[in-house]
Amino acid sequence: MSIDYALVQAINTLFYASILFLIASGLSLIYGIMRILNLAHGSFYMLGAYISYTAAMLWIGPTPAGFVAGFVLSLAFLAAVGALTERILIRPLYSKPSELQLLLTFALMIALDDVVKMIWGPEYKSFTKLPWGYMSIGHYSVPIYMLVVIASSTIIGLLLWWFFAKTTIGKQMRAAAYNPEIAAALGMNTDLLFVSAFALGSALSGFAGAMASPILTAYPGMGTDAIVLSFAVIVIGGMGSILGSVVGALIAAIARTVMVIVYPLLEVALIYIVMIIVLLVKPTGLFGKEIVERR
Amino acid sequence: MKILVKSIWTKLGGIDVLRGVTLEISSTSSIALIGRNGAGKTTLLRTILGILKPYRGSIVVEKGGEQIQTTRMKPYKIARLGIGYVPQGRMIFPDLTVEENLEVAYGSPVPSDVLEWIYTIIPDLKKLRKRLGMYLSGGEQQMLAIARALVRRPKILLLDEPLEGLAPRIVKTITKTLRDIREEGVGLFITEPGNIKRIKPLAEKAYGIDRGEIVYSGNVDGILQDPVARRRIWGL
Ligand SMILES: Nc1ncnc2c1ncn2[C@@H]1O[C@H](COP(=O)(O)OP(=O)(O)OP(=O)(O)O)[C@@H](O)[C@H]1O
Ligand SMILES: [Mg+2]
Repeated sequence: MSIDYALVQAINTLFYASILFLIASGLSLIYGIMRILNLAHGSFYMLGAYISYTAAMLWIGPTPAGFVAGFVLSLAFLAAVGALTERILIRPLYSKPSELQLLLTFALMIALDDVVKMIWGPEYKSFTKLPWGYMSIGHYSVPIYMLVVIASSTIIGLLLWWFFAKTTIGKQMRAAAYNPEIAAALGMNTDLLFVSAFALGSALSGFAGAMASPILTAYPGMGTDAIVLSFAVIVIGGMGSILGSVVGALIAAIARTVMVIVYPLLEVALIYIVMIIVLLVKPTGLFGKEIVERR
Repeated sequence: MKILVKSIWTKLGGIDVLRGVTLEISSTSSIALIGRNGAGKTTLLRTILGILKPYRGSIVVEKGGEQIQTTRMKPYKIARLGIGYVPQGRMIFPDLTVEENLEVAYGSPVPSDVLEWIYTIIPDLKKLRKRLGMYLSGGEQQMLAIARALVRRPKILLLDEPLEGLAPRIVKTITKTLRDIREEGVGLFITEPGNIKRIKPLAEKAYGIDRGEIVYSGNVDGILQDPVARRRIWGL
């Protein structure tokens, strides 16, 4: 194996890990703060992908401006969708058995697939062009776009860490995660904290979709693939931990690359094997805290 | 400021836990609520704070000559009227430091004058500023829970069994701290499972509660002489 080839595979792996991290950290922070497992989280990823496609291929054209517009639009749109989902669909169910939340978000996931088919049709949507050109590594050529995605995801990871470690609202979200009733009785607006956390987590997923689709295309059902993979990432890394999402995403991406090299037909199989091993050895995930059932 | 609780009924799991409770809490007095385990003390505090909603009766906060209906208000709005809460079991946020516990309750980094005020009332906390909640002893947690309830400079503090489960020496310290807070012009409402001797130095008046009903209202010593209170609270 040449150095060039290894470098290309490393970039591929980091690109894939960046996308997985963005989706999984959103899912994990929503679960960590609200104990809501949003099965439609992957569908938000899909919506982000289609919005990015629409902006870059249908409206503005595959220029850097078109792509950046797509990223910003997806981020904003999915933040709004997340806020509305929490406010209208999920809030009435906080005091109800958690099966209801699962059923409801499952229904939303199915419905969004149909919405996407209705608006954009059932076929795959490919981007004809990537912005920012290519870089050659030996006789391989790697899109600079991938490096932009890796850098963006790294910056977002650092911002998330800063947000939860340093800002009052981030700390209030952690307080509300521990005990929402006490937080509210102490004067914290938990409604606002929850709707913001849900919007933030959903926006991360939408942004992930927007960044992924130029390479991985957009198609109905991609949300289901994404949610299943991000479960694996979270199980490996641990629920409710940003560092866990980073490590989980890296491990999953490495496992995928290994399979792509040795047996591409089973691209994601090793991810699930790792997941099962972690579940057996350390059920809380590598960096997970004990998550207490709240109600 | 006053909290007027007017014959409230609150259900938990289909059972009437509060059954027509009427009482008055004021920023100019210190009141004990005495009742044994399961009498409904915590339920009463949680209802006053809006965490639980009574299905009958009402709660009014009297503030600056205004009558504010809080029966259906959100807990955070009730808290911001000037009501501090020290929950049973302290409920310190374990992965936040002492100062961060204060910060989240205040809503932004606590201004230095408020911090200074808190550290003059509870000096022991100052050297624990950077320690995580999970590493505090029971007494330290109780101090922090009190401090956390004070950061918004409330007029009334609701304290749920603040002396329970602490060593006698710590009980003494907390008692002194609460008396200082009273001196600062903050009204206290303190629940106590049954130890009159330790609550006496803290309370000017007492209510007795049993099975969701107020069974006594009067001075603290009187509760031990009252036949109804003796029978229902202590089974004598
Ligand atoms: N979630 C619940 N569902 C049903 N009943 C409950 C629930 N929570 C509390 N209760 C019951 O309500 C009654 C009053 O409980 P509460 O916690 O208010 O008592 P308390 O006076 O604070 O007792 P303690 O001294 O043990 O703290 C008890 O009989 C308790 O069993
Ligand atoms: Mg209690």
